[in-house]
Amino acid sequence: MKGHPTEDNLIEYRFELAPEDRAREIGEHLADCADCRKRLAGLKNKFSALDLLRDDEGALSDTLLRETLERAAIGSLGRKSPLRPPLWIASAAAILIIGVILLTFQPKKGRHDEFEVAKSPAKPATEMDYRTLDEQAMPVESLKKESIAQEKPQALMSGVTDRMFMDSDSAVALADEIAEKAPFAPASAIELVTLPRRDNVQITIYNSADLTLVRERRDLTLKRGWNWLQFMWAGTLIDPTSLSLEPLAHNSRIDIQQMVYPARLKDIGRWLIRSEVSGQVPFEITYLTSGLSWRAFYMGTLSEDEKTMDLSAYVRVANNSGEDYEDARTRLIVGKVHILDRIAELAQRQYPYGRPEVSGKSGSTKGGWVSKYYWRGDGMPMLGDTLEMGYMDFDGLERKEIKKEGLSEYFLYTIEGTETIPDKWGKRLPSFEAEDVPVDSLYKYDENRWGRQTMRFVAFANDDEHELGETPIPDGTVRIFSQADGDGHLSYVGAAGVKYIPVNEEIELNMGAARLVKVDPVLMAVATENYQFDRQNNVTGWDEVRTWKIEITNARDLGVELEITRDFGTSYWDLTDEPADVDYKKHDAMRARFQLKLGPRTKRSFTYTVRTWHGTRQQDYRR
Amino acid sequence: MEQIALTEETDKNLMAAHCRGDSDAFGTIVQRYGPGLLGYLKKMSNENGQAEDFFQETFARVHQKASTFRGPRLKPWLYRIATNIAMDGFRKNSRLKFVSLNRQADSDDANPQESGERVLVDGGPGPSEAAQTAETKEQVQRAIADLPDRQRATLVLAYYQRLSYKQVAEVLGCSVGTVKTHMFRALKSLARRLPDVSGGAA
Repeated sequence: MKGHPTEDNLIEYRFELAPEDRAREIGEHLADCADCRKRLAGLKNKFSALDLLRDDEGALSDTLLRETLERAAIGSLGRKSPLRPPLWIASAAAILIIGVILLTFQPKKGRHDEFEVAKSPAKPATEMDYRTLDEQAMPVESLKKESIAQEKPQALMSGVTDRMFMDSDSAVALADEIAEKAPFAPASAIELVTLPRRDNVQITIYNSADLTLVRERRDLTLKRGWNWLQFMWAGTLIDPTSLSLEPLAHNSRIDIQQMVYPARLKDIGRWLIRSEVSGQVPFEITYLTSGLSWRAFYMGTLSEDEKTMDLSAYVRVANNSGEDYEDARTRLIVGKVHILDRIAELAQRQYPYGRPEVSGKSGSTKGGWVSKYYWRGDGMPMLGDTLEMGYMDFDGLERKEIKKEGLSEYFLYTIEGTETIPDKWGKRLPSFEAEDVPVDSLYKYDENRWGRQTMRFVAFANDDEHELGETPIPDGTVRIFSQADGDGHLSYVGAAGVKYIPVNEEIELNMGAARLVKVDPVLMAVATENYQFDRQNNVTGWDEVRTWKIEITNARDLGVELEITRDFGTSYWDLTDEPADVDYKKHDAMRARFQLKLGPRTKRSFTYTVRTWHGTRQQDYRR
Repeated sequence: MEQIALTEETDKNLMAAHCRGDSDAFGTIVQRYGPGLLGYLKKMSNENGQAEDFFQETFARVHQKASTFRGPRLKPWLYRIATNIAMDGFRKNSRLKFVSLNRQADSDDANPQESGERVLVDGGPGPSEAAQTAETKEQVQRAIADLPDRQRATLVLAYYQRLSYKQVAEVLGCSVGTVKTHMFRALKSLARRLPDVSGGAA
């Protein structure tokens, strides 16, 4: 071997990772080189730190053993297996296992680390029964040990299991025994007990602010006294300052004191919780995260006569938050949130945290199956009201509230059931369906807006008359198709973006330039007259008279309706020769609008003459 | 070799007995391999509650798939199931992690006075040494926990569970060369992060 082995070589040698020939070379070199032997010894010493964990084998507790066997046995009950034992053997086996466990599970004198039981079995428990199924099946007396009141305070704190049972007497008796002063949070966290996975997750996505409110329920195991609960948000877009924790049981006995962010520890926060109860307690955890968004998509299919449309709505949810959401109830907010504006106000508010409740009108449009809820009551927003969310104050003393006033419209959609949306995934969820929505097909011509193109529109309204009207329609993209033939094939008509459509509002979708309907204005004649002059004989005023011929072609198999807008460039105008058979009205000061219908595969034209007043002639203009 | 052969035969017999409905056989399997497997899962997840969850899930799946076990050795098969469960669990688990800093609820040590304090045993190392050891242990745990999943699995299986590289390859479903690569990379990372332990550990 040329030269000394590198550190990488020594690692390979030490852990038998090197190819045989290289390992031999290194071995030969080490035999002759004291320096390298010293380096190898240093490396061995460094890696000997790994042996600190070698004794941390998993000693199987009786609880774990029992639960493991039970879980495996429960898993087998519903499954068909060619090797499934007869029922009586399974029962006998179960009894045998339980018997073995009970025999080995002898309470030792002086140890109180298995079960704490009611001091007086005659008194009903005032708290939730945390006993396991086995314990509940056994007579209480068989589990009874010394009464709690006679035990030393320290002994009560020792080795408690995660299932404890305490009645009100016991709790009162022990009320004085919690240390007044909270301990410091440990610098190290060697013995970590992770909390169970989330349960009952609800996500509410606020598109306008890239914020999602996550609500989840977890069971936390508390011990009586002071508890430090650490949470870590590395790798996520969670706003740690928004985390909120609230017990769902024993509220009066659990006090969430403060939240701290330890120095020099990244992405870690700790709550200090004072608890008078021991055992598993359900908590609701709420926080804000980013990276979730949703968009609405609509697909409309026009009927053959294009007088009605079937409308399907979808929502596409995209998850780039860094978290997977499994079996989450999903809610979508339509509207605007201006949370950042209110941070300063937040610190001064004292309102309690409110929760959106399922209330108000629920139901679906015809054919649909999405429930929609209004927030109401208890300070929660209704349609047109404010948005409120809970927020954890840094002083850890009170919940504050974020509020935004003056929103135009605000609506909450709930997707029925639950959805699993892994990180970096998007998912399309059906929103609602409506059949036979009456629509108006309209062609428009307006050179100011669209140049010399004739545009196609589909119009309807979000109201009962149009088979809608139960909820606002969030903004999104609408794609319209029409029946291409009698075999159910569809042809693409066009797409349009829609803005939020409140109930009872009309909507007109611009489908783009029409191919088969053309409007062609032709200037037939121009004349000027009625000149006016100043003293120097300069022209100061005059009239212009133009005659236009509008030629319209409908190459479609269906009759169409048209709206043609003409802008005269001045508010001093008048039609002196109105077209026959065409509805005409003054649209605004400078524009006239013509409306007409055209049968299938027809061509027609109409003419009009417009006089405009210019200069000093405008003084003579009379409408 | 004789011992290995005996174990293999016993493993096969045990599984066959379990498939026939012998509940004792399953209990024996859990008792035999459970402690090592639990230690493995604890090092993999660094969180006891999660490790126990994986542990139970592993044996539930062993029970379900018992009829598919072909032998000869149960240990690699078992660890393979456990590894797959752990990897799936890491992917699924929330990255908003909560851990309790309370002393473990089911610890056998007596009298934990306050949250997070270690109980000192008379006659043992003095307070400063115990704290130092605890600190070092935590550094090691953190260094291992920060390894990518497959590197961590390779290290724990080879170093702590003392599986051969060939057995590790069987557990992880990859080649021996890949195992060695994972192992090397894990050790390189650890070499940068492991604290100095003067005098070496036991």
